[in-house]
Amino acid sequence: MAPHPLTKINKIDPAELKMLKKRIDIAMVIIIFCAALLLTRLWYLQIYRGDEYAKLSEINRIRIQEIAAPRGNILDRTGRPIITNRPRFNVVWSREDAPNPDVVIKDLARILNEDISVLLDRIRAATENPRYMPTRLKEDIDWETLVTIENKHLSLPGVRIEVVPSRDYLYGDFASHLVGYLAEISPAELTEKRYAKYQSGDQVGKQGVEKIFEEYLKGEKGRNYLEVDVHGFEQRQMQLQEPYPGNDLHLTLDIDLQRAAEEAMDGRAGAVVVMEVNTGNLLAMCSSPSLHLQEFVGGISTTAWNKLLNDPLNPLLDKTIQGQYPPGSTFKIVTALAAISEGIITPDATYFCGGSLNFGNRRYGCWKKGGHGTVDFQRALIESCDVYFYSVGMRLGVDKIAKYANSLGLGKKTGIELEHEKSGNIPSMAWKQQRYKEKWQDGETLSVAIGQGYVLTTPLQLCRMTAAVVNGGTLYRPQMVQSITAPDGRTLKTFAPINEGKILGSAHSLALIKEALVGVVNSPGGTAKVVKLPDVLIGGKTGTAQVVRLAHVEGMSEKSIPYKYRDHAWFTSYAPAEKPEIAITVLVEHGQHGGSAAGPVARAVYKRYFELKNGKDGEAAEPAPPLAKDEKEE
Amino acid sequence: MLRFDRRLLLNFDWVLFVAVLVVALLGLTNIYSATHLYTNMGTPLYLKVLTYYLFGAAIILLIVSIDYRVLLTLNYPLYISMIILLLFALAFGKTIGGAQRWINLGFFRLQPSEPAKLILVITLASYYYRKETGKGFSLLDLAVPALLTGVPFLLIAKQPDLGTGLLLGFIFVSMTLFVKLRWSTLATLLCVGLSAIPIAWKFFLKPYQRQRVATFLNPEHDPLGTGYHIIQSKIAVGSGLIFGKGYMKGTQGQLDFLPERHTDFAFSVWAEEWGFLGSVVLVVCYFFMILWGLNIAISARDKFGVLLAFGVVSLIFWQAFINLAMVMGLLPVVGVPLPLVSYGGSSLLTNLAGLGLLMNIRMRRYMGTS
Repeated sequence: MAPHPLTKINKIDPAELKMLKKRIDIAMVIIIFCAALLLTRLWYLQIYRGDEYAKLSEINRIRIQEIAAPRGNILDRTGRPIITNRPRFNVVWSREDAPNPDVVIKDLARILNEDISVLLDRIRAATENPRYMPTRLKEDIDWETLVTIENKHLSLPGVRIEVVPSRDYLYGDFASHLVGYLAEISPAELTEKRYAKYQSGDQVGKQGVEKIFEEYLKGEKGRNYLEVDVHGFEQRQMQLQEPYPGNDLHLTLDIDLQRAAEEAMDGRAGAVVVMEVNTGNLLAMCSSPSLHLQEFVGGISTTAWNKLLNDPLNPLLDKTIQGQYPPGSTFKIVTALAAISEGIITPDATYFCGGSLNFGNRRYGCWKKGGHGTVDFQRALIESCDVYFYSVGMRLGVDKIAKYANSLGLGKKTGIELEHEKSGNIPSMAWKQQRYKEKWQDGETLSVAIGQGYVLTTPLQLCRMTAAVVNGGTLYRPQMVQSITAPDGRTLKTFAPINEGKILGSAHSLALIKEALVGVVNSPGGTAKVVKLPDVLIGGKTGTAQVVRLAHVEGMSEKSIPYKYRDHAWFTSYAPAEKPEIAITVLVEHGQHGGSAAGPVARAVYKRYFELKNGKDGEAAEPAPPLAKDEKEE
Repeated sequence: MLRFDRRLLLNFDWVLFVAVLVVALLGLTNIYSATHLYTNMGTPLYLKVLTYYLFGAAIILLIVSIDYRVLLTLNYPLYISMIILLLFALAFGKTIGGAQRWINLGFFRLQPSEPAKLILVITLASYYYRKETGKGFSLLDLAVPALLTGVPFLLIAKQPDLGTGLLLGFIFVSMTLFVKLRWSTLATLLCVGLSAIPIAWKFFLKPYQRQRVATFLNPEHDPLGTGYHIIQSKIAVGSGLIFGKGYMKGTQGQLDFLPERHTDFAFSVWAEEWGFLGSVVLVVCYFFMILWGLNIAISARDKFGVLLAFGVVSLIFWQAFINLAMVMGLLPVVGVPLPLVSYGGSSLLTNLAGLGLLMNIRMRRYMGTS
């Protein structure tokens, strides 16, 4: 045999072997003793006291039933409830009580007005569950069905009614994108760490604040300890541990303003953002059209889901934070701020607009074909003269514009505590090099100066920018929750304003811009005269964002342009001009004109805000009533 | 390279092989009864167990074909990988039932505390083999093996998995008593150990663990909370009577009154369905397998083989005894599986690997030193 690497291990020394053998004998004795102990115990349990345990197994069984906790309420900034809970009645079938479903399924399908195959599918899907766990056959049945089933319960063995708390949307689809919805936890979510304590069948927030604040809203499940017999029938309740309700979420939203915004949008695609300029708190966050939250209660049907997916108005998209649009002329605020602060222009210097500017071998047109004539800084902003800003932009260069835009919070996420926020885009020379591996063309700077080209912003970003410009230059992080309170009234958490720093730009330039913005709404020739209110001085800027190159729609009358090619309409604004309180940004997708399409929406919200604030209009100052029952169900 | 000796085949340990096969078949039969209502990602659990067994058979084949003495060179690399895995489980592990025990490998969820038991046996056997005993170990001599046990013990207790942690302690104590101890060392350790109990009770145990011990002492005090496991398990075992309720007809197990019935309480399902007779058969087969392991230890060709075989036997014995005593209400609920019977891939593969080591030692008992 070849020398083995392990041969240095010697055979055992006989003396030591003898000693180890002795110990192994001891071990053997111990092990046999343990085996004897176990066998004796088995004899004691199964034979000596066996009858006793057999009887216990016949009669004394304990089952633990979980009771869902009422979820925390969602309230508005004044404490008015927006979303609460109501009991929901589900039809469940217990396999254990009636092992064969065929007997009852026919009758039940008729009562529930469902196809038999639908019910059978649900039973089949639940075969993996423990047998005593009831299978839900139909969620949220109405009173009439409930009464019919209760009356016939003797002929429907195994069929029971389960009562679970469910969401009640007092204001219908109010702020639907922001509040989000609930649905049964998915198998994928069950494997996530944050849902470690959940079980299949539990309701969980799927979107918006319902998801983000799930931990606070969910509450603690209760437990019902039941004694059941050998067939699983309940004998008596042994102990009840009441569920503990979830915590209440106080939003910064105002029911009246949110409703005013939603009504003014009237189902058109777009977004409205209303923000307190000195805190960053959002008073309204409306993405239109809204989602029908009732459809999501108990799981949305595939047809309804597909309809939402294919809707040209794109209701699934939260346009306030996920919609990215060229800001159009509203971006001239940025260009103006950069130009004055950098000393590129003085407010009094004039420039002649002849309707277009030639640059390179291209002609860059002004929106006003005849031209604005001679304009100074104020007139240029008030009448939104493109040619003036082309020339300013050319002298600034794209990187300067980008620097100011970034400092105003554009081109990056605002940090609002909502999921899937988009960052928009602010182009620069380095950006283009990196993104397209191409050199920046000077002509592109002209487009950027008037908010076209590669510039993309979300409505929330523009609103925050406007707030920062008018509040003295402080950028706040947008927030939609004020505080969280426990069911006993204790405050668990409050959300203070989050200061994100000062914006670039001199106080002088900010003052000049504010003056011009007031002119946009209040002076003759201003692009947003429709917004003007009698008692309050509003400032703002309109914008029209091209969806396609002008050439596609050149020469067509506005009405004959197909919907999807029409321009987006912007209006971003603040009030009151003397001491700004709120900023409102409105986007109407394909609304064509900032002034006429988006302006009136902002006007309606301002009107409501100041009516409520001054409380002079008795009827309007009354809080908006919750929807009547039938109106909501619809 | 290793040349395969024909004598190895002739000396293959058919007795242990058959004993393992019998216990495994009984265990598999029982798992089917306990889990046929369940699937895991679409695969019925008993099919998963079957694949674990096939995998385990491959591991046994691999282990018996390599001389166990290579472990003397592999013991520290193995030990270090075990520590890394335990740290990894603590840092990134999956939480199930409040404890971070699992590492997800995609196709398999590894519970590193299971192989850790076997690796500790190998490590201690190598250490004690190398260390000259002379007049017996002094307290100082024990510092290194105590440290080798203490590190994985703390990492596992931190998960928290006190049952597995304690098992490491039992293995350490068994193997240390097996090699020679000085009487003075033994006496000191006894005193320290006894005085440590109240301190551990107060500072080391988590409230739920204290609760379990308290419940064990008086389960009827809290029939719905922590006493539930013990009471339901005793009812299951006791109601089996002499002949049992019949295969797949145990009400306690099938109607979900018995918790953890395919893992820690698998034996309760068996006892309920097969009664006293079936239980005696399983326990006798089981202890025969363990005693045969001691026989292997006696007949090993070198001291390392003796120590290793004894360590594996103590590993399987302590798990079995603690588990059986627990489901019969003789010990508090600590979460130790019954090797080859409880469901759990990591546990099954570890124990099969241990049994493979026993076969390995047995096969090479006549190998010369040349």
